[in-house]
Amino acid sequence: MEGSAIECRGLTRSFGSRVAVSDLTFSVPTGSVFGFLGPNGAGKTTTVRLALGVLRPTGGSVQVLGLDPIAEGEKVRGQCGVVLDQVGLYERLTARQNLEFAARVARMPSSERPGRVDTALRRVELYDRRDDRVSGFSKGMRQKLGIARALMAEPRLLILDEPTSGLDPENIVMVRELLLSLAQEGGRTIFLCTHLLAEAQRICDRVAILQRGQLLAVGEPGEIAGHRGPSVRLRLARMTPGSRVALPAGAELEPMEGDEWRCKLAQEDDVEGVVAALVAAGVGVRRVTSDQLSLEEAYLRVIGGDEHA
Amino acid sequence: MRDLVNVMWKEIAEFLGNQRSLRVFGVAVLIMGVLPTLTGRTTAVGDVAALRMAIEALYVLFAAAIVVANTAPDLVLHERVGRTLEYLIATRLPDSAIFGGKVLVSAAVGYVAALVAIALQLVANAVLAGHGFSWLYLALPEGRILALGLTADLALYLAVVGTFVALRVGDQRGAYLVTILSLGVVIAPFLLGWVHIALTTAWFAHAAEVFGAVALLLGGLGVLLFRREMLVLYLQE
Repeated sequence: MEGSAIECRGLTRSFGSRVAVSDLTFSVPTGSVFGFLGPNGAGKTTTVRLALGVLRPTGGSVQVLGLDPIAEGEKVRGQCGVVLDQVGLYERLTARQNLEFAARVARMPSSERPGRVDTALRRVELYDRRDDRVSGFSKGMRQKLGIARALMAEPRLLILDEPTSGLDPENIVMVRELLLSLAQEGGRTIFLCTHLLAEAQRICDRVAILQRGQLLAVGEPGEIAGHRGPSVRLRLARMTPGSRVALPAGAELEPMEGDEWRCKLAQEDDVEGVVAALVAAGVGVRRVTSDQLSLEEAYLRVIGGDEHA
Repeated sequence: MRDLVNVMWKEIAEFLGNQRSLRVFGVAVLIMGVLPTLTGRTTAVGDVAALRMAIEALYVLFAAAIVVANTAPDLVLHERVGRTLEYLIATRLPDSAIFGGKVLVSAAVGYVAALVAIALQLVANAVLAGHGFSWLYLALPEGRILALGLTADLALYLAVVGTFVALRVGDQRGAYLVTILSLGVVIAPFLLGWVHIALTTAWFAHAAEVFGAVALLLGGLGVLLFRREMLVLYLQE
């Protein structure tokens, strides 16, 4: 178990005849940012609840920070900071009172609490609204406050369940930047359930894809996305299969749909030579893009493949 | 213990931030505090005086019952509506603190309502009835047992019932009604003639002890039975 913040072996949970998660086996390396991807109803939230010891597994096992979440649930939850899909702030309380309660739950000494609360509020730029009731906060502000609450006790494991759910684009950017800074800080493990595959590809060290309670893929984003070897995608004008172009050695053009072409390269640096050769041959180069399969494309391929299975 | 205190801190802050609950509190204590005086006190002796005393003290129990029956379900249902239950069960707070904090605050709020109603009765009797200051039923030991002892038992009983009822009944009004109707379990033995009331100190003291034991037993049972997993299944319904 050493080196893993979360270790699942055959983890299964059923609710009556409905199997929410089935035979999950994966590990989250300590200190990594781990993306847990899947459509609605895939079992992500159930997995989070199992990891926190809020639900008992009906099969298999899970260890969090080396502890059994059922037998030692208080210890596990005491070392985790959690931001759930619905954040869960007390609307009748002020921002400061919400964080004060979290500080009390974390058993912070009373002398430290006011300072830590104020620091957390300043970090998410809500200090000016500290004495306002949360009922008057926007969704973005609630999300920020929820993240501040989760971070206040300096948890070893930060669990975020759809932290951008329901946010407008501006607030999605805000949360993404906050997650990026958390990931760059290092020193803690981040377990991120998300729909935002672009963000997962950017910040996650490893990802897992879940569908209907089953693990379809797990690995580094690049592994899941798949490598074709160096290649680029080109949109060309005045280019036909018969065109003569003096490409660099090892480069090979193949037609795709319409005016799209794929060019396989011997090495990444050859892309400049390819473009120069095409221009010299009188071909119009309209666009050059990476040909690597994005995580989003890989995700859709994996999910789609499972649906057709 | 510290976790219990922290949950109670939060529950009290939530209660004070809930205008509806504060209104129910205010109306209940106002009505139960002033009504005995408005219905007119007469000088009575013997058994009639004792009965009158018991009826006046019952207003205090009513105040506590109304407030607890409203507060206990609210402290659960509000968390369900606001999705804070999900957060609460994901914290390191033990199950017993989550359940115990809600029950104790509900009971305490009801008991405070009773005390305020008593204070209002004393003031109303002195000012509105023109009888000068009098301790009313508090001057008698059976009155004190009824108003202070049995009220505490009742508040705890309804707090435990109301908290559990709220886990099964999804709306505030329904939970309130079911909680109030649970008083039928307590009253039924009297209505059926299985237990007879005697307006004596000894009877009231014994009744307070028995009811108190029942309430504590129910509370203990609640702490043993309550599991955060129940709240997860409750959230998913």
